[in-house]
Amino acid sequence: MIAQVITYLRERSDMMKWIFFAYLGFALVFDFFAERPDAHFWGDPIISFWAIFGLVGCLLMIVFCKGLSHVWLERDTDYYDK
Amino acid sequence: MTSSIFMHPATLFIVGALLLPLFRKFNAQKILLVVVPLLAFIQIKYLPESFGAVEWLGFELQFGRVDQLTMVFLHVFTLMALIGSIFGLHVKETGQHIAAWLYVAGSLGTTLAGDYLTVFIFWELMALSSVFLIWYRKRKKSIEAGYRYLLVHTVGGLILLGGIVLRYQNVHDLSFELIAPDSAMLADYLIMIGFMLNAAVPPIHAWLPDAYPEATVTGAVFMCAFTTKTAVYVLARGFAGYEILAIMGAIMTLYGVGYAVIENDARRILAYHIVSQVGYMVCGIGIGTELAMNGACAHAYAHILYKALLFMGVGCVLEMTGRSKLSELGGLYKYMPLSMIFTVIGGIAISGFPLTSGFVSKSMIIAAAGADHQTFIMLMLSLAAVGTFLSVGIKLPYFIWFGPNNPGIKPKEAYWNMQVGMFMAAFMCIFLGVYPEYLYNMLPYAVEYHPYTSYHLAETFHLLGFTGLGFYIMVKYLKPHDVSNLDLDWFYRKGALVFMWLARKPINAANEWVSNVYQTVGLRFTMAAARALSWFDWEGIDWALDGSAKGIVKAGDQTRLFQTGKMQHYIGAAAGLVFVVLIVVVLV
Repeated sequence: MIAQVITYLRERSDMMKWIFFAYLGFALVFDFFAERPDAHFWGDPIISFWAIFGLVGCLLMIVFCKGLSHVWLERDTDYYDK
Repeated sequence: MTSSIFMHPATLFIVGALLLPLFRKFNAQKILLVVVPLLAFIQIKYLPESFGAVEWLGFELQFGRVDQLTMVFLHVFTLMALIGSIFGLHVKETGQHIAAWLYVAGSLGTTLAGDYLTVFIFWELMALSSVFLIWYRKRKKSIEAGYRYLLVHTVGGLILLGGIVLRYQNVHDLSFELIAPDSAMLADYLIMIGFMLNAAVPPIHAWLPDAYPEATVTGAVFMCAFTTKTAVYVLARGFAGYEILAIMGAIMTLYGVGYAVIENDARRILAYHIVSQVGYMVCGIGIGTELAMNGACAHAYAHILYKALLFMGVGCVLEMTGRSKLSELGGLYKYMPLSMIFTVIGGIAISGFPLTSGFVSKSMIIAAAGADHQTFIMLMLSLAAVGTFLSVGIKLPYFIWFGPNNPGIKPKEAYWNMQVGMFMAAFMCIFLGVYPEYLYNMLPYAVEYHPYTSYHLAETFHLLGFTGLGFYIMVKYLKPHDVSNLDLDWFYRKGALVFMWLARKPINAANEWVSNVYQTVGLRFTMAAARALSWFDWEGIDWALDGSAKGIVKAGDQTRLFQTGKMQHYIGAAAGLVFVVLIVVVLV
């Protein structure tokens, strides 16, 4: 049953994509109405600060970590047995 | 005094572990496996504030000290022992259950200990029993990883012991209380390093992602819960408010999650992610305010449950398919839908979705950093939260349960007891998110924190949503490859090879030269002397003593049969012996 529902949704990936984008739009709009009673630092009052932080942080983390792995850390799985 | 030892919840697990083989004979092992942790879970509520004071060799040992800080950890440890034991019901090797329970006993003993000597005893019990959870996997890699785990923890234990001895010399008091940061001396920092090793604080963290992925399926479920969180407890007890911990904790959160983004083995991803999550707790302890300490404890409680849930989920996959590498998995939602749902619940809880336990616990620590005006640390913790959702919230479930891969396997759904274990943990993840007061009421300080404010919700919607967008954009770069990544264990793993080379080449050559000299010169003298002595021994003394030497030779032949030549057996026997001695010492 669960598997069938998921297969059904996976076959409609375009629809899922638009639902996801709609959610992102909702999150951005929601921020305009959120109360900001006690700002702890300079980022708190900026509308959609955490959206930018999340996106940029995620992209930078992937580029940095994957890059570091690729140029330096990556080894064969039997590296220590050689 | 003997009666108060039986009050100790660790006693339940130790006696239970000793009874397990007996119950196996009567086919009632499964009943015992559920009853003992359940009894412990109930029993901890009736513990007195202080019990089990023992005087031993002039030292005041205290086996039981209970306050709010102890309670929250006892509560989650016994709950986790119950969930873990149910998850492992199908395991037939009694030895694995015994090791797991002695490990739990060590953790409970450390948590209840009121002095450093008792801490040390149970600390070592934990290290020694948990290594068997790795060895029971019985693969060459697991045996090797187990030895490395044992060696690293032996070093950590020695540093801790050194600190304890020096501290006794300094202050002539071994009671386990908060050490004020401005009065801390070398001894106290040695103790702290010993604790930090078990909390897997970089640069002494590499034992964790090295060993946990090699443990047995149930072993990893136990290990992910107890070692690091016991270390969090002792740090919270002894070293709250040390700024170095706040900084190291914040570094940990990013270090662990960075590796979780690039690793391929599902259990290694989760192991690295423990480093990241424990970083939040260490950071909270370092900040040391009431909100931060509450946050650290709440996060420990929540983390044990969802990390164990994730380890159970990927453990089910490993049990049913024999695989744990993301590059060899994919599309399993069709065959193991229930395991999929439970694992995804663990994933969203660890990412801090609203209505899950991560939302109400992790944010306490971040808010505490903000309220303490530690902006940089707060941003590091928030960035680690982004990485958490990226690596464990999306990447891990995506490549196991959905994903582009078609590994061509059709595994069965996990055993019923595994599903019950996962259900219990998943239930708690959501229950704590919906009803956070249950958790908040257990915390050491009164809580005036409200997680469900509109701003916190907006922040979470943004962080999670746009991290998801980042994944969507970059998914093709995140495709897992079958490689491993270097970490700081390189130093001792490659260092050991240098040592072995030294032993094989120069030292061996020197040794041979000396033995050549000995053979040509020394041996003749020795042999002549030996012949003379031997004649005297057999003909003179043995004649006088009625042939007892011949008897001893015979006995020696028989003893030799006990020696299997397997190091694991010797360590197990030594541990058992220490244990018996300990019980005798305490009871007499």
